[in-house]
Amino acid sequence: MSVITRTVTRVVFPLILLTALALLFQGHNLPGGGFIAGVLTVAAFALVYIVNGLDYLQEDLLGRTGDDVEGGPAIVADFLNVFAGGLAIAAGGGVVAILLGQPFLSQAVLFVHDLPIFHELELASAFVFDLGVYLVVIGGLLTILTVVGDE
Amino acid sequence: MSLVALPSAIAEASTTGQLGTGAATLAQATADPAGVALFAALALPFLGALVTPLVYRALGERTAWFAALVAFASFGLVASQFGTTGSVSIEWIPTLGVSLSLYLDGLSLLISLLASGVGVLVFVYSAGYMHGEPGQARYYGTLLAFMGSMLGVALAADLIALFVFWELTSITSFGLIGHYRESESSLYAARKSMLITVSGGLFMLVGFVLLAFVSGDALGSTTFTLIGTPDSMIANADAMRTALESAGLFVPVLVLVAIGAAAKSAQVPLHVWLPNAMEAPTPVSAFLHSATMVKAGVYLIGRMRPLLVGDEWMLLLGTLGLVTMTVTALLAVGASDIKELLAYSTASHLGLITAGFGFANQLGAETGAFHILNHALFKATLFLVAGIIAHEAGTRAISELGGLRHDLPITGIITAIAALGMAGVPPFNGFYSKELLFESAYEVAHELGGLAWLFPAVAVFGSVFTFLYSIRFLWLFMGEKPAGLGEVHRPSLALLAPPVVLAGLAMIVGIDPQLAVDTIVQSAFGSAVAGEAHTMSIHLPTELTPAVAMSAITILSGIALSPFYDRLRDGVRRLTHGPLSADWYYDKAVYGLERASGLALPRIQTGQFRTYAAWMLGVTSLLALAGYLAAGISVPAFSDLSITAPVVIVLLVAIVGAAAVTRAPSHIAGVLTLSVLGFMVALFYVLSSAPDLALTQLVVETLVLVIFLLVLDRLPAFYGDADRGKVARDAVLAGGVGLTVTISVLVATAGSPDAIARFFVERAPVPAEHGSILADFGGGSNIVNVILVDFRAFDTMGEISVVAMAALGVLTLVAMRGRGESS
Repeated sequence: MSVITRTVTRVVFPLILLTALALLFQGHNLPGGGFIAGVLTVAAFALVYIVNGLDYLQEDLLGRTGDDVEGGPAIVADFLNVFAGGLAIAAGGGVVAILLGQPFLSQAVLFVHDLPIFHELELASAFVFDLGVYLVVIGGLLTILTVVGDE
Repeated sequence: MSLVALPSAIAEASTTGQLGTGAATLAQATADPAGVALFAALALPFLGALVTPLVYRALGERTAWFAALVAFASFGLVASQFGTTGSVSIEWIPTLGVSLSLYLDGLSLLISLLASGVGVLVFVYSAGYMHGEPGQARYYGTLLAFMGSMLGVALAADLIALFVFWELTSITSFGLIGHYRESESSLYAARKSMLITVSGGLFMLVGFVLLAFVSGDALGSTTFTLIGTPDSMIANADAMRTALESAGLFVPVLVLVAIGAAAKSAQVPLHVWLPNAMEAPTPVSAFLHSATMVKAGVYLIGRMRPLLVGDEWMLLLGTLGLVTMTVTALLAVGASDIKELLAYSTASHLGLITAGFGFANQLGAETGAFHILNHALFKATLFLVAGIIAHEAGTRAISELGGLRHDLPITGIITAIAALGMAGVPPFNGFYSKELLFESAYEVAHELGGLAWLFPAVAVFGSVFTFLYSIRFLWLFMGEKPAGLGEVHRPSLALLAPPVVLAGLAMIVGIDPQLAVDTIVQSAFGSAVAGEAHTMSIHLPTELTPAVAMSAITILSGIALSPFYDRLRDGVRRLTHGPLSADWYYDKAVYGLERASGLALPRIQTGQFRTYAAWMLGVTSLLALAGYLAAGISVPAFSDLSITAPVVIVLLVAIVGAAAVTRAPSHIAGVLTLSVLGFMVALFYVLSSAPDLALTQLVVETLVLVIFLLVLDRLPAFYGDADRGKVARDAVLAGGVGLTVTISVLVATAGSPDAIARFFVERAPVPAEHGSILADFGGGSNIVNVILVDFRAFDTMGEISVVAMAALGVLTLVAMRGRGESS
């Protein structure tokens, strides 16, 4: 790949990640949410992957060394952990609702008043679930991408 | 046929016969059964089955005693509820109104006591019989689960639970019949019984669903509850019948339920699985053929009788039962193996019970209820005796056996009691129920005249052969010992005690039938009668009645024919070759299907993605379209269509992109033109004020493009030339799929579920006034996201699980490819 693409990727990559995070956080009130943010994050990684190759993504960017796992490169093991963790967060948040005597996956909103700068902050328990969605999408799609790309 | 003209007024008219007299109604027991006892009786065998592998590790072959103890506990728990009637239920999913209800009355008590009581004896017997056999942990576990399923069938109060336990008996008996896994014939037998009984059960399920469907009209609300509550089907039998008839569903429901019962109870022509089922270890055969499995079918007939009895019922089940009774009695005469003889005789006696329940008079119900008890007692005894003979003499071939009374004197006595009962000789137990059958058949013929006289005639004809094979079985102990028969050992106590107990009970019923009637048969009979049941009175006949004459004809003809037994046997064997043999139609159907699917396979599963896609999409579209057609859904007219210039432009570009995909000369061009289509759709979302959808579409489109680029160099560079036929076929397929999707979208959006939409619009955002914690509302102004993570979070949970599974699936497939597990 040319120097131009590589340089542009360098600049764009953090911007995409930042956009994705913004989408994740604003999802409750503005367009966005865990799924879109997740897919956008994967797109950022895919860009690095295509421009710089798998080794760069795996070793330089994510600092992963070690032997390949069965069916794919070593990094896949981390991706598996990411989506397993995401599923656990999403389901765990639902279980908390049960512990509080509500049906599985009930969500609530907490308003915190009198904060500096924000004045009033809305904390939604749904964000925990959305975070789970975000992680599952990242882990799952990156696993597919890496395994298929490695073939 | 003139039979159909039976005036329904006499259908359940109380009849005065010699054996059954009086119209006084027995005072019904009104106490409710204790729920704990019933649920524990049902749960114990399953729990026992679960821990059996562990118990086997500790106890080894003594697991039999553990299983016998579990069965005995179940027996005791059921017996402790003796005399109670009513239903008990525990809530399962209260919000959906789903609960597990059990119902206990005379009939279910009789079947449960037989299943658990004979179960105890079978486990004790197994302790002696299965000594040194392989797979004992599996054997005892499956047998316990089987017994539990049978208890479930007997106790279930609603149709769904009944069906589930019904199919559980089929599945567990599959394991039991196929116990000897190395033997080809044993596996064949297991598959056969499974195929026939499970598919029969599916017919029954359709019948049940129709019943529930009709119950909505008859009872005001749709219910699956068969019995036990004031708004159950049987409690409102008249309303149900009227609704069934006005819907034109009476005969279909009757036939469907009868197919299920006939498959289970081995009625002609579905009897073919029963003789093969003797491949199972003998204790299992004794259990399957006497107190369980086959009794499930006649139990269902008895249970449904108050709901469905009438002219059609009698025509169908009376005929079915008598034909089965006669045909299988003939086949039993042709048998060469003692277990084969007993297996066919089982089918024959189930035919007798079916015919009894089939006759639309009270004597018929008496026949069915009483013979269920009698048959269980003598048939379990005889199978256990057959096991002793096979175990101690080393052969089951009838021609090689004889004179066993010298070596097995006690076994000889119990065989005499059981075989004479089976033959219907007074004063043994089978005589009384057979008299009831004759009496009820005569009653029907007398009322109807004409062709109905065939009923008593066939009943007598079939009974002659019953007498013949029963005496033949007894003759194994008479005469001289054949030279080829080696030393016959004495059976151990574990082998001998169970049949002695059973024969003792059979003897008691024979000597004092009224005792058995008062104890349990009367109440079982009452469960099978619509309306008031009269009091049964059973004793030895003291004067000549038609039924007594019929019994006399049966026994005398049997004695007269017995010198010609060998010639009869050879005649039956000659007849049952080729297309007339029992297995002919079954084998042809099964192997024919196997060949047909072998032929279809290369067309459907080519290993090429495009073939799978073509079949999947084509079949899905066809089914969806057929569904719309069957439901009579018309394409709704759409109004309020506002098309603006930007939308037209965007959609035009999308169409151009779509058309270009089909003309693309290379993969790169194809992928890029496909992206044009995708991005245009995203723009369309933007124009339709759906920013979330647009964002998602854009991001996904980008990602798909990237993935395509990754795999592009793995694909052949050129599509190749497709011939015109293939192109035309693909065009038709694509058009069909497009049409299906269009119609689906139109139909789905025409429903415009305003109530749901309004709910979301009202509940998603933060309300004007609120406290610091907000639980009832979504609390977010992005309604799409609030729906995804709050209102429909469970759906999203499922979707992210799918993403995770897809990733794992890709990983597994790629990992497996290296191992050469897929060709």
